Amino acid sequence: MASSSPSEPQRPLSPNIQLYRPQLTSVLSILNRLTGILLSIAAIALVIWLLAAAAGPQAYAIVQAALVSWTGQVTLFGCTFAFFLHFFGGIRHLVWDTVHGFELRTIYMSGWAVVAASIVMTAVAWIASVYIGR
Amino acid sequence: MNMDGTNWLACTRFISEMESPARIYPLANMKIIKDLVPDLTHVFAQYAAIEPWLQSKTPTPERERRQSVEERSQIDGYYECILCFCCTSGCPSHWWNGNRFLGPAVLLQAWRWLTDSRDEAAEERLDKLEDPFRLYRCHTILNCTRTCPKGLNPGKAIAHIKKTMIERQS
Repeated sequence: MASSSPSEPQRPLSPNIQLYRPQLTSVLSILNRLTGILLSIAAIALVIWLLAAAAGPQAYAIVQAALVSWTGQVTLFGCTFAFFLHFFGGIRHLVWDTVHGFELRTIYMSGWAVVAASIVMTAVAWIASVYIGR
Repeated sequence: MNMDGTNWLACTRFISEMESPARIYPLANMKIIKDLVPDLTHVFAQYAAIEPWLQSKTPTPERERRQSVEERSQIDGYYECILCFCCTSGCPSHWWNGNRFLGPAVLLQAWRWLTDSRDEAAEERLDKLEDPFRLYRCHTILNCTRTCPKGLNPGKAIAHIKKTMIERQS
């Protein structure tokens, strides 16, 4: 099936990613993958946090200090958003697997709904954590 | 052709509808013969690979192979494809794995034959598609449905194939 045979002339390839306009469809797709990778790394961090808690107060204090630091909080906030984006994006994919929601209007509506729900739920989670943390 | 960053039929877009200055490129990710002319040899070879013709095991009838109105309506939205390959050219999965992934245009055609009540080779067709690359490199990005200048839905056609694939296993 490959088109390149020795007798065929070598032809240049027209540009693809550097040319093609980013749109909601492709951007959400790549974000779903990137957030998946980020969350896999975050899962390792979660294990480190639990191991530190099991190891004793000294080890826990070190990890806890890193988490409550300015950079730690920004990272956690990012992970929260990544979680919700991946979660709602995953639901969108499950619906597609049943062959529903494929009209172009619906694709865009569900896409923006995933973005909106992720922003709202990230805000809700952090407001809740601030109140519970008091 | 790629116009202002997305694929469309050049003959149905007015320059007045485009940005100023208008940016035109050949169809994305294609071998280029010259200027705006892409070489479609590879994608047409992929089209041939799905055997896009009616296959039946029953003897050829004396008259037409008849369909009910309902059966005929199953290929609506699929038979209209004109093979412009705007969708395949706009599919990131086909950019990275185009040598083995069939791409949205060809998979839409595959579904057009799978869902045709007169075709009797569904099992063989599905066997050939059941492959990590040919079918399953589709990650439902849906740039295809977004760009189709005929308003067809390759993404939906592929979802139908995937669902049929699961259903025949159970």
